[in-house]
Amino acid sequence: MSDWQNSTPADDWTIDELMIARLAACFADGDQACNGMASFVPVSAFWLARLTHAPDLVWLAGAVGLEPRPDRVPASTLEAPLWRDSIMYVEQFGDFWNFALNGRWLTKFCVGAAQLDRYGNGNNSVIGSDYHNPRVRLPGTAGLGDMGSIGKALYYWNPNHNPRSLVESVDFISCAGYLGGGSERADAGLEGGPELVITNLCVMDFHPETRHMQVASLHPGVTFEQVQEATGFELPAPEGQLPTTAVPSAEQVRLIREVIDPDNMRRREFGG
Amino acid sequence: MSVEKLTTLPEAAALVRDGDTVAIQNMATQAAPMALVRELIRQGRRELGVVCLVGGIPVDLLAAAGAMNRLIGAAVSMEQFGLCQRYRKAVEAGAIRVEELSETALNARLGAGARNLPFLPTRGLIGTDLIDVNDNLVMLDDPFGGPSVVACKALVPDVALVHAHKADRFGNIGYEPTALWPDLGIMPKAATTVIVTAEEIVDSEILRANPDRTVLPGFMVDAVVEAPYGAHPTSFSPRYGYDTAIHLEWIGATRDDDAVAAFMEKYVTGPADHAEYLETVGGAERQAALEAWEQT
Repeated sequence: MSDWQNSTPADDWTIDELMIARLAACFADGDQACNGMASFVPVSAFWLARLTHAPDLVWLAGAVGLEPRPDRVPASTLEAPLWRDSIMYVEQFGDFWNFALNGRWLTKFCVGAAQLDRYGNGNNSVIGSDYHNPRVRLPGTAGLGDMGSIGKALYYWNPNHNPRSLVESVDFISCAGYLGGGSERADAGLEGGPELVITNLCVMDFHPETRHMQVASLHPGVTFEQVQEATGFELPAPEGQLPTTAVPSAEQVRLIREVIDPDNMRRREFGG
Repeated sequence: MSVEKLTTLPEAAALVRDGDTVAIQNMATQAAPMALVRELIRQGRRELGVVCLVGGIPVDLLAAAGAMNRLIGAAVSMEQFGLCQRYRKAVEAGAIRVEELSETALNARLGAGARNLPFLPTRGLIGTDLIDVNDNLVMLDDPFGGPSVVACKALVPDVALVHAHKADRFGNIGYEPTALWPDLGIMPKAATTVIVTAEEIVDSEILRANPDRTVLPGFMVDAVVEAPYGAHPTSFSPRYGYDTAIHLEWIGATRDDDAVAAFMEKYVTGPADHAEYLETVGGAERQAALEAWEQT
């Protein structure tokens, strides 16, 4: 039994470490994972999984560097220091999308979205009602507009759970979730879809029939009322006691702080 | 006998006309042909359409200079340095029209352009609102009876701008081992005119030593220019990292029109040529730090 399995729960974990450990638990041996821009939480989660329960999780850094060996999480998750010592450079046009579109590989994808709605639709395009005359121009869909439509299991991470980022309906769908809920996604011929939403307050999943977002577990010390207060739509009332999200182990916390991200790059995603 | 392609930065940039659709190599803070972008602004180019995968500081500078009025791309962001604020402002003011595509849709549009096809399909974007707002994307029944796909209309940029490690005077382009983006895989092949800046112009014998690293053939390249540190302040792996200080200076300047004008004067329109630009941003000492990837 390796150290991380023996390890007792950490008593000084912080919320970034809890989110990273929870996201890491979503990835297993036999999976392939890739990251995009500004993705310190997913990158740390993949790395943590590889150091603990999923040593054979394949990581395609920046969607270009296969099995990299960076010495720590660098200031950018889309620059060459992240894919140091890769075993292969995957050409982004010729190869990456062949692997991602094929269906056999890269079946899980982590999504950060400026807006996420109750049916798991993501928006990184525009705020406002008119796409051509937006109130706020967001960065753009990049790969999300593909990943939402090609059968991937989507894992949203949101370090700043608030009513502006978790909304009743997104202003514009740039990443397809369950669309209008119910069977709408399946009716559109789309497989896969949103699995989990991991925020700084809780973990949420989607009702198997209505496809409405619902709280799956509360982080330690957080109440359902606090989550509701911070959410821009009405959450289904929990049936009975909600479980508490598992806290990271002392060894997981040590790995994150000392091995993976000693420069605390992950903290840059919080407090925005 | 091969055709001479070697020219100067001003002459190469003059191949771009007002109103052209210009594909620009760039991935957030990586690998943009910045020397060419600055020269286009110096020459006062107007009404450009910019095609990019993830456009960073070149898009923000072109927007700030009023040189562009449309963008076709998957995202615009300087990643850790945040959104491109001048671009964003211009879009919100209606001065830049955005055709936002997913990565596979952009690749499909360019791929169709490269192969002289009317369109190529993708399965991406189905279910999103991006199809409804874009006349270049149309849902299409699979003629073989499978699920519907999105037809992505061919895109043929007037010009593609690329930065490379090595080129010979005949336009053969050599790359050093590094991650490759669609900028090289498809953009130049779709474009009518291809302009390449290179860190160094080398003898063809150098390219012959590693033909597997030649990424573009001379016959499809119209102009090559020697521009050492030509991607600065973006990174150019494996040679040098991005310049954090310049990115931060730009981000700071974007809050204020006078500061933007001062930045433009100092770094874009002020320096007489690329060599003077490199001195302005710190010369050999700065370059040594960037080569060590010290800020990354």
